[in-house]
Amino acid sequence: MLAPASDMPNRVVPVLASLALVLIWWLDFGIVQPNRIVPGTGYGLVEAIGAANSAGLSAGLLALMVMARHRFRARFYGLGALVALLLMWQPILLAEFADRQLPADAAYARTAIGAGFWSLLFLLGLMAIEVLSQLPSPRGHHLILVALVLVVWGVCVAAGRLDSLSLVTEYASRPDQFRQALTHHLALSLSAVLCSLVIAIALAIMMMRRDRWRQPVLATVSFLQTIPSLALFGLLIAPLSALSTAFPFLQTLGIRGIGWAPALLALVAYSLLPIVRNTYVALSEVPDDLVDAGRGMGMSERQLFLKLKLPLAMPIIIEGVRVTTIQAMGLTAVAALIGAGGFGTFIFQGLGQAAMDLVLLGALPTIALALAADGVLTALGQVCRPAGLKANG
Amino acid sequence: MIELKGVSCRFGSTVAVDAINLTVETGEVCVLVGSSGCGKSTTLRMINRLLPHSAGEISVDGQDIRRIDVRKLRLNMGYAIQGTGLFPHWTVARNVALVPKLLGWSRDRITTRVDELLTLLGLAPETFANKYPEQLSGGQAQRVGVARALAADPNILLMDEPFGALDAITRDNLQNEMLRIQRQVHKTTVFVTHDIDEALRLATRIAVMDQGRILQHDTPENILRSPANAFVENLLGSQDRGLKLSALRRVGDAMSRHPQPCEPDLETDWLSEDDSLRQALSVMLWHEAEQLPVRDAGGAEIGVLSRDQIWTGAT
Repeated sequence: MLAPASDMPNRVVPVLASLALVLIWWLDFGIVQPNRIVPGTGYGLVEAIGAANSAGLSAGLLALMVMARHRFRARFYGLGALVALLLMWQPILLAEFADRQLPADAAYARTAIGAGFWSLLFLLGLMAIEVLSQLPSPRGHHLILVALVLVVWGVCVAAGRLDSLSLVTEYASRPDQFRQALTHHLALSLSAVLCSLVIAIALAIMMMRRDRWRQPVLATVSFLQTIPSLALFGLLIAPLSALSTAFPFLQTLGIRGIGWAPALLALVAYSLLPIVRNTYVALSEVPDDLVDAGRGMGMSERQLFLKLKLPLAMPIIIEGVRVTTIQAMGLTAVAALIGAGGFGTFIFQGLGQAAMDLVLLGALPTIALALAADGVLTALGQVCRPAGLKANG
Repeated sequence: MIELKGVSCRFGSTVAVDAINLTVETGEVCVLVGSSGCGKSTTLRMINRLLPHSAGEISVDGQDIRRIDVRKLRLNMGYAIQGTGLFPHWTVARNVALVPKLLGWSRDRITTRVDELLTLLGLAPETFANKYPEQLSGGQAQRVGVARALAADPNILLMDEPFGALDAITRDNLQNEMLRIQRQVHKTTVFVTHDIDEALRLATRIAVMDQGRILQHDTPENILRSPANAFVENLLGSQDRGLKLSALRRVGDAMSRHPQPCEPDLETDWLSEDDSLRQALSVMLWHEAEQLPVRDAGGAEIGVLSRDQIWTGAT
């Protein structure tokens, strides 16, 4: 008989921890730049945070390796706590680095995160995911861990301990723009998903009623998905300009060749495939004999749809929405090219000015939004899974 | 009463049901039997209008079903199908409550009715009401399926191979339950099966179908005694028709009854009055017995069945 996974020595955490150990000693931990554009000087681990902190960090990683190899009951709770502590320690180490190496007299000098630190953050993140997946559900642990880590980072930023960090500097010089970008990004991607959902359900119902619609509809949404996103954004400029010139009242609504209108259209077009496909498959895979039984007992088509087909299809539909939302969050960044706003604005500005920190200021929140959407919709999918169905069924 | 007059069903150029006439009297169990593709399920599904009939007239209690609102028609017909068709995301209780809920019964009435039905089908409500179909065995699920069909006390019961997917023992149990329940509720029932033994056992009258036509419509006994043609004869099997006939008779009807029930002799083997003559014959063959005592459901000895009585009783 196979022992349950939690009774076997964990191999993932030791591998990740040893990799992290090698990388933090090998790569630069932090960088100091005299100003925004000039490439900075890299600092190794001991130079950056001192011998004591370096030893502590290494000891923490070693402890993870040792703990993961041993079998005791609560080891995954211990591992989780240790990973969380290490993640919470990182902003403090960054502040320590700034205190040690940032020249006091240079007004434009700033610190940047080095490759070693990025690797450490990334690998700690992976370890957190691995450890959390081994903990029994309900998954309250996830939320507690993520919240704790975020709170410590937030406190460090709010207390000004990370003010010299280039990312924070970039944010500090444009907080209003950042807030606006966030609003635009969310509004654009979420409304695109919402529009697609409504269209997708209508299309799915249409395909179920008339089978001959199925091929053309699925072919069309698949085709839309194959157009390169930049091209689609660009292609929509001409027809929408023509439209708004022909009907001036459209301009008062904000519909022009560039801006949110073509972006929304393109995003909806991209979002259709996953939602349409999942909605159609989910609804049409409700077993015929159930529908037959329901109909034979006198349920109306409406009741059959609302009480039988939709609840059974819900988990798969939400899965489609999840995939679409993550995709839309990413694509919205590209939509900044045609003036739609959002975090893409920072990315393209940063690329134009060769300011990588500004690129990060756009890219990191985009990733965070996608991850948040993933988490929320995964949870929603679990909540909406009808009782009585197998967890994997 | 259900009447089909000259009813046909065509799908494109194929004729699934070809101008059949069939009358199902109130309270009787009409079993449609035949091989797959013979049109028996199609016939059943035309009665609750899941399929439209292309020609002829179907009436229920004298009323043309095309003049009845389709939902009203179906709500008044219990419907049970092969593989249960239970909704997997609903509990047993909610599944059974489906039609009463559609009819707008009060919550209390529905709860009472669900408990009553589960008990009738031999499922303890406190154990089963809150289970999901996935947690039931095949036989239990099919019992729930039958309970659901009976839920709103419909006048008519349509059953489309309800026991087709069950193993032999479970099927046997459920057939017994069906007979017991039918004795209590007397529903006008149309029952589709491909199993001639099931048909002989459950039917008041059997309609043997082939290629969209009814070859013979008669009581099980008459069908066994005088099959209309070679097809029916073949379906019955030529070798064991005698046994099938004896299976239709109860021991209680063929035995000689004691003037008064008496204490049973615990040493000897015995028969129950509800056993069929076929079972009685088998027991006698096994024990090489000339005659056996018969007990009633309470365990008292009420009569004796002899080998000769099986002969006279079965033929």
